[in-house]
Amino acid sequence: MRRLRIAAILAVVALASLLASNVAAQLKSPDDVKKGLTLLVQISNDFKRQITAKNFARIPHEYQEYTEGAEALRATIKDEPADFKAKVETRLKASVAAFQKVSDMSANAPDADKLMAEHAKAVTAMNALFELFPADLRPDPNAAPRRPGGPPKN
Amino acid sequence: MRCREGFIRRGATLARRRLLFPILAILFIFLGCGLKPKPVQQVVDLHIASDGDLIAFTPDTLTCPTGALVRLTFHHAGRFVSARHNWVLTYPDQEESLTKDYLANDGVVAKDDRRVIAATPMSDKGGTVMVEFTAPPPGDYPFLCSTHPEDMRGILHVTK
Repeated sequence: MRRLRIAAILAVVALASLLASNVAAQLKSPDDVKKGLTLLVQISNDFKRQITAKNFARIPHEYQEYTEGAEALRATIKDEPADFKAKVETRLKASVAAFQKVSDMSANAPDADKLMAEHAKAVTAMNALFELFPADLRPDPNAAPRRPGGPPKN
Repeated sequence: MRCREGFIRRGATLARRRLLFPILAILFIFLGCGLKPKPVQQVVDLHIASDGDLIAFTPDTLTCPTGALVRLTFHHAGRFVSARHNWVLTYPDQEESLTKDYLANDGVVAKDDRRVIAATPMSDKGGTVMVEFTAPPPGDYPFLCSTHPEDMRGILHVTK
C-alpha cells in the first residue's frame, strides 16, 4: 500500500513536470521571453545597487522601471494560451506589488538593512514567477553581470 | 638720350628677371618640402545599440584602427523601459573608478573628466546619439553606459 502511494506521488510529480516542460516547449517566442525575464533580474539588481549605495531617492524610479519591465514580459507572452497568461499575470502582479513595497519603504523610512530584507522578499516573489517558465529560460537572479571578452566578474 | 634710358631700363628688367628665377627656385624647394600632402585621416563609422530593453550593448565589442576619426552612433533600442542610456569610452585602468563614481552620482558624465576619451549624450528609448573622436593608441579600451555601469559594458579593440 505504501509503495503504491509513493509510486502514485512519483507519477503525479512526473506528470506535472512533463506538463510544465510541454508548456515550455510550446512557448511561441522563447528568446523574447528569456530577455523579458532577464530584464526583470537586471532591474531587481539595480534596486539592490541603489539600496547598497543609499541612493534612496532613486528607488521609486527603479520601481517604475520594474513595472515597465513587467509590461515588456507581458508583450512576450501575448500569444500564449489564456490560462498560462492568467497564471503569469497573478505572479507578475505579486512581484510588482513586492517591489512597490520596497519603493514605498524607501520613500517613508529609508533604512538600508530593512530595504534589503524587503528586496529579498521581492526577489522571492520574482522567483515564484520564474517557476512558471522553463528552467533553461530562467535567469539566475544572483548571477554576476557578464563581461565582454571574459567570464562573469566575481 | 632716349635710347640710353631705354637701354638702362631693359638692363634693369633683365637683371630682375635673372634674380627672379633663383628666388622662385629656392621658394619652390622650400615650399615643396613643407607642402607634403598630409595623410588623410581614415574615417570609421561604428554602430552600436542597446539590446532592446535589456541593459546590455549589442554588439559588445567594436574594432577600429588607431588614429582613425571614429564616428560612433548609439541607438537606444528599448521599447518599454524608460531607463536612459549613453556610450562612454574610457581607459583600461579607469573602468572601475568611473563605475564607482557613476553609481554615486546617478550616471552624470563630467565634461572635463580626463578618464573619459569620448562620450555620447544620454538617449531616451528609441533615440539615436552620436560622438566623434580620434581612435587612441592600439589596445583594448572599455566602454560602458554611465547609468548602468555594472551591466552595460563592452570593449573597443583599437588595432595598429
